[in-house]
Amino acid sequence: MTAYVRAAARAFEMSMKLRAVNPFTNFGWLVFPLIFVVLGLALLGGGGKSAYAILGGGLLGYWGMAYVEGGNEIQNERWSGTLEQIMGCPTPLVVIVVGKLCSSLVFGALSFFPAIAVGYFAFHQSVQNIDPVPFAVSFLVLTFAFFCMAVTLAPLYAMWRWAFSVTNGFEIGVYVLGGFMFPISQLPAWLQVVASVFAPTWAVRALYAATGQPFGRQYALWWAVSIALSCGYLVIGWFLYRLVDVRARATGQLALA
Amino acid sequence: MNTLRIFFRTCWFQYRAMFNWATPIGYLSYKFLQPIGQILFFTELGIFATGRSNALYFALGNALQLTAINGIFGVVMSVGNERQFGTLPILLGSPANRLVTFLGRAFVHVIDGIAGVAVGLALALVMFQIDLSHANLGLLAICVCIISLSTAGLGLMFGSLSLIMRDVFVIANGVYYLLLVFCGINIPVSRLPEWAQLISTGLPLTRGVQATREVVSGAGLAQVSGLLAGELAIGLVYALIGYSMFRWLEHQARRGGLQEAY
Repeated sequence: MTAYVRAAARAFEMSMKLRAVNPFTNFGWLVFPLIFVVLGLALLGGGGKSAYAILGGGLLGYWGMAYVEGGNEIQNERWSGTLEQIMGCPTPLVVIVVGKLCSSLVFGALSFFPAIAVGYFAFHQSVQNIDPVPFAVSFLVLTFAFFCMAVTLAPLYAMWRWAFSVTNGFEIGVYVLGGFMFPISQLPAWLQVVASVFAPTWAVRALYAATGQPFGRQYALWWAVSIALSCGYLVIGWFLYRLVDVRARATGQLALA
Repeated sequence: MNTLRIFFRTCWFQYRAMFNWATPIGYLSYKFLQPIGQILFFTELGIFATGRSNALYFALGNALQLTAINGIFGVVMSVGNERQFGTLPILLGSPANRLVTFLGRAFVHVIDGIAGVAVGLALALVMFQIDLSHANLGLLAICVCIISLSTAGLGLMFGSLSLIMRDVFVIANGVYYLLLVFCGINIPVSRLPEWAQLISTGLPLTRGVQATREVVSGAGLAQVSGLLAGELAIGLVYALIGYSMFRWLEHQARRGGLQEAY
């Protein structure tokens, strides 16, 4: 176990160093949320909806870093010719992925700083009426949901290179299902059903409820559903990691998959 | 004849190199999933902000902006990938006509960009029932073609920067999303601050999107010809700047042997 923790810590450390000098990472947490906050505030204006623009911009950056950048890391290993070494080494792939994803989450969480700053300094808007304890817990639950989704998706990127194209293509669709910048209650009923199996949706609802949005205060229920769905993803992920391991060894086509 | 052959071969091979490696699933995800996501997100955001009666504005604007997936991402990466894959010195060392090689980077993306907008309009029609009953469909098609051309012109200009920049994908991302802010896609240009309006007048899409909105409302060629001519001219100017930059940077790189050193 200590060896796995050490390996994950090294993967985290290396990933942090590489990300710190990666322009695309810095675009993802610094510039990308800014664009969406500006767009959001220009559309939603002041008043009660500004929380959706400011927190929403941060959420987009956070999610983008967690899953697109997390997936991109696997794709980069493929491009660099190191994916086979990672799969072939005694440390399980999931340990490396966990280390890399923790680094994605750290940079992703930074997205909220430019989002809040541009809201405050450029538009004189801020997120008000924050209920601190539910807000903090909701943020942790959301982080867990992002982490679980990214861990579950990572083996798909290793298995098929088109998997990244598909998830990247649907990145903006995820903003809809997660209710990142508007409540999902305005979506068609069938789409709300789809959104309800998406763990971050429940955590995002709790997060916005903690800023005074009129959703009720059923925090415990929302957190529980989000955590249960996230754990469900991990179970699916466990099977996917086994599948990738067997498949990569059986076909020998990892780099070309 | 030889020039034409180079042109079409360049078009075909760079396009295959761009998408074929990712299998048709990867290509189709950009052709369908991204349009669905973008149109749905921005239209629902617009509905949340301004009410359901304005859905057409957001759905139409974002359907048209989809051409930038090809015009910006596609064209910028077509030039930028030469550097990433180590083929830039070979390209610069070849005797092929530079203008033909340069324009060949954009040609198929213009066609594919038009197809992308058609997909976007069809999705907007299905998802938000946008009303095209007053539109002259032939004129609408002309608008889409011109928008696709002008956006590719901007893509060519930024693509040239890949000769001196390693992370041109960051630029492509930034430009793509800034077009959503400045070009009247989601925010009417008249509502932007003055400095932002100034920027928007110098960008492709701004006039083309405005012309298309008018055509969808029933305007004829006479009413939108000025906007379309302006849109085309903007695209041409960007393409010319891009080509000039490409030649100048190539010259600098040749003199200093710096093709991959930036």
